[in-house]
Amino acid sequence: MIEIVELLHFVTIAMVTAASSVAVGIGEGFVGLSAIQAINIQPEAKDDIQKTAILGMALVETAAILCVTISFIILFGTAQESMNIYFSLSELGIALGLSLSGFAIGLVSAMPARAACLAMARQPFFSNKIVRFMLIAQAMIQTPVIFSFIIAIFIKGYATSAANITDSLKLIASGLAIGLGSIGPAIGLGIFGKTACNSIGMNRKSYGKIFTFTLISEGIIETPIIFAFLVSFLIILYPAPTLLIAIAMLAAAFCVGLGTFGPGIGLGRIAASACHQIAKDPEKYSMLSKVSILAQSIASTAAIYALIVAMLLITFTK
Amino acid sequence: MGGLELLHEPRWNPLSRFGLTHSFFNIDYQTVMQTWIVLLALVLLLIPIYIILKRKPGIVHFMITSFVNYFVNLCNQSIGRFIFKHFAFVTSLFIFILMCNLISIIPGLEEPTKNINTTLAFGLVSFLYINYYSIKTHGAWEYIKEYFRPIPVMFPLNVVGKIANILSISFRLFGNIFGGVIIGQIWFNAIGGSIIFETVGILTGINLIITGFFGLFEGLLQAFVFMMLTVTYLAIEIQTEQSQQSEETT
Repeated sequence: MIEIVELLHFVTIAMVTAASSVAVGIGEGFVGLSAIQAINIQPEAKDDIQKTAILGMALVETAAILCVTISFIILFGTAQESMNIYFSLSELGIALGLSLSGFAIGLVSAMPARAACLAMARQPFFSNKIVRFMLIAQAMIQTPVIFSFIIAIFIKGYATSAANITDSLKLIASGLAIGLGSIGPAIGLGIFGKTACNSIGMNRKSYGKIFTFTLISEGIIETPIIFAFLVSFLIILYPAPTLLIAIAMLAAAFCVGLGTFGPGIGLGRIAASACHQIAKDPEKYSMLSKVSILAQSIASTAAIYALIVAMLLITFTK
Repeated sequence: MGGLELLHEPRWNPLSRFGLTHSFFNIDYQTVMQTWIVLLALVLLLIPIYIILKRKPGIVHFMITSFVNYFVNLCNQSIGRFIFKHFAFVTSLFIFILMCNLISIIPGLEEPTKNINTTLAFGLVSFLYINYYSIKTHGAWEYIKEYFRPIPVMFPLNVVGKIANILSISFRLFGNIFGGVIIGQIWFNAIGGSIIFETVGILTGINLIITGFFGLFEGLLQAFVFMMLTVTYLAIEIQTEQSQQSEETT
């Protein structure tokens, strides 16, 4: 029995770091590729493009740094005598939650940095504002990892008091909810961030309008992640006395995780096409932004359905 | 772990002698005290600004007026025309949330926004303001009819959609600030107690990066996002057919 306990414990530690590192490595490689392409197009702007690429890579790495922090906490913060099979099973929740969201964010947060490098090749005299814009777009993409990080800390805290299989299933469910739920919106955020950086490269006069539009749209695209975060939080705080309730919580995690996948991508695509049009014709900003936000509120209805069903599953199962 | 301790704040239960021991009646007195300190800091900041604006123009005078002008332009762009009430509401909301997020740079104080109750209150305030002006512009009957569109069966889903707005706007602020607080706490716990590690943290600038990114930058960004979402929802709710037409003609 002791071998399975140790195995699950170390698999959790390895999986969290490995998944995020793979994605972050691929993402940073693509940022470097785009930087080289941009320098090829515009060799005079070499210094600015280099600075942008390094800053972008540093922000992409945030996901990996958070995952490594959790790995260290699990590795050094666990007393050997407190480990049993339920504790190790609960830790799988951390592994699922952080590795899924870390993988998605590592790949996706590189997309704005790539677009920013290429935009700088087109607008070399506008580099300061492009860098500032890229930093804000990427910082907002990191939100899912921060949420998963919070959930992982909570799971780590509750895992020591897990006494039977229902507690372990409950904690796995909460990790699964935030992990699955952050994939779709993360892709949406990436699509939008890439288009927004491209649009500034196309038309720098639209900078002010695209800047405010980005803050609003990334806020709305993040809404499904917040629903998933809410469900994970509820699952952790809600007691699970019987096995049936624990299974219902697992179902709720799948419900909110898969239910936010489509709306997340859809929201990102709506906002991206609106952003493209704003860059083409900044005069029509107020109309385009209103239409885009209305369309987004309709598209996020599907995520709200998933949230309702998940909450009903958690609270009404007897 | 750090996260769990942060949730269990010291609470004061004034109504316990009447048998009201439910957590709804508790008061997180530390958070309330920190919020009052933020208000005090705002007042202390406003007095010199008032004195500077009275005197003849200088650099600080220019900085203050350009800060206000930026928000005036932002409101104009979103709402379509300048309305002083809405401008004053969203700008003061922004400044208050910003001060709440940044108060932790003073040693010994913590952000009030890392408590879910504070951010939920902000969300409720912005929700009530938006809906009050929606009723005022369209009338109560039109406002109620809005819930039964496109078909009457959608009523419960529309209500849940409205409530989900409050939840999403307040949990976004809470999650980001709370995550930053946890990350900072873990880092300072890890290096604390060892002189070598603390020196390395200060000299390499890792301390500065962690407080700068997760504390100051995220705080500024999230306060701005909160304000932008409020002003955009407000602009959608209070637009009428007349204002839309006047916008197209200008």
